Amino acid sequence: MNVKIDTEGAFGSALVTLEAGEKFVSEAGAMYRTSSNMEITVESRKKEDEGMWGTFKAGVKSMLAGESFFLSSYTPNDGQSGEVGLAPTHQGEVSSVKVGPEIWICSGGSYLGSSGGVDLDTQYQGLSKGMFSKEGLVFVKASGKGDLLVNGFGRISSVDVSGGITIDNGHLIAFTEGLEYTINKAGSGWISSMMSGEGLVMKFNGNGKVLVQSHDPSRLGGVLGPLLPPREG
Amino acid sequence: MRFEVKGNPSYGEVDVDLGPNETLLIEPGAMSRMSSNLNSSFQRQGGFFSAMFRKMFGGESFFLGKYEHPDGGKLTFAPSIPGHVEHRQLTNNSLNLMAGCFLACTPGVNIKAKFGGFKALFSGEGAFLLEASGNGDLFFNSFGGVVEKQINGEFIVDTGHVVAFDPSLDYKITGMGNFKSTMLSGEGLVMRFSGNGKLYLQTRNISGIASWLTSRL
Repeated sequence: MNVKIDTEGAFGSALVTLEAGEKFVSEAGAMYRTSSNMEITVESRKKEDEGMWGTFKAGVKSMLAGESFFLSSYTPNDGQSGEVGLAPTHQGEVSSVKVGPEIWICSGGSYLGSSGGVDLDTQYQGLSKGMFSKEGLVFVKASGKGDLLVNGFGRISSVDVSGGITIDNGHLIAFTEGLEYTINKAGSGWISSMMSGEGLVMKFNGNGKVLVQSHDPSRLGGVLGPLLPPREG
Repeated sequence: MRFEVKGNPSYGEVDVDLGPNETLLIEPGAMSRMSSNLNSSFQRQGGFFSAMFRKMFGGESFFLGKYEHPDGGKLTFAPSIPGHVEHRQLTNNSLNLMAGCFLACTPGVNIKAKFGGFKALFSGEGAFLLEASGNGDLFFNSFGGVVEKQINGEFIVDTGHVVAFDPSLDYKITGMGNFKSTMLSGEGLVMRFSGNGKLYLQTRNISGIASWLTSRL
């Protein structure tokens, strides 16, 4: 398996080459090109032994995470190698990180795809954290071993954290397990937090890595929105 | 203060290393990450009426976010719209910014809104512009890439594409050629600059995107 960042910069995409028998999984709808020998199946995110109820629960959880209900999985079906190209909806960079021994936790909407050896699970953030982080109620946890693809709005930076870092809500892509975060006000008091325009931030503590995006799509929405005609009905 | 602008021209953002007790003033909401020890507060820039004026007419905020710490720290900020971030060092001089283009500055820089005259109504940027003056670092942003142009004589720019210009430059609003080419070239009115100084242009225009989107909604 080879996972390559195919186009860089503002319109990032990834190209995955699979040998016979290998599998890659992506967010549904992320595939934009594939070789003709690729078998594409749809799977929902569930644990093997949970049956229908597991499928249902997994579906609800991933809808809350801002991810698609279903995942697409790709396997070459003729004993040859094949390739699949993946691209996110938003403009921005695509990054690839290694899973194992590190466990990555992706904010809702940042997950693009992962190799077959990566186990995906959803992590409920708790109501107050989920409501205020702007990153979705549920995060996607990637463990096991393999490659993980994430997408961001704008540039993606990888930050090594030792001790702590503060990240404005709306900028988180993913972080390694071992880091813990709390939702805090940005300043020392509520008034200064609101007036400085930051409001709430995510304060991370511990050691590990964080992937952040340079821009916050909701701020672009805030600029573009008033320039568009009001919604009807 | 050390800084590095990264990601230009598509997704410009600025990494800053603040020294002990150094202060940076940033457009509200633009901080994307920072050392957890940095203090964030807010500050009204200039007098009450100056700040009010800037908010009402300059497309900017009444308050600016203020970041500092006795030990210093790291900070990254980015504008709300994707595009180029430009830095300019001011040393007892000034720069005219189009409304909404201000991103950040050090405390020695003063930002105030001023009436651009009747002609500014046609500049595609509103009748008011911002004047940044004083001593220090100034960061401003555009939609799309920024082209720097040293003007010596005359120069024509489409309305809506000017980000900033030196006060030594003057402009007037004119049509493009005769009436027919003004109406049919798709350019409409243009800004005809004259004088000696630097002009910063943006390669895209957010209202262009907005009107294209509007026709499809």
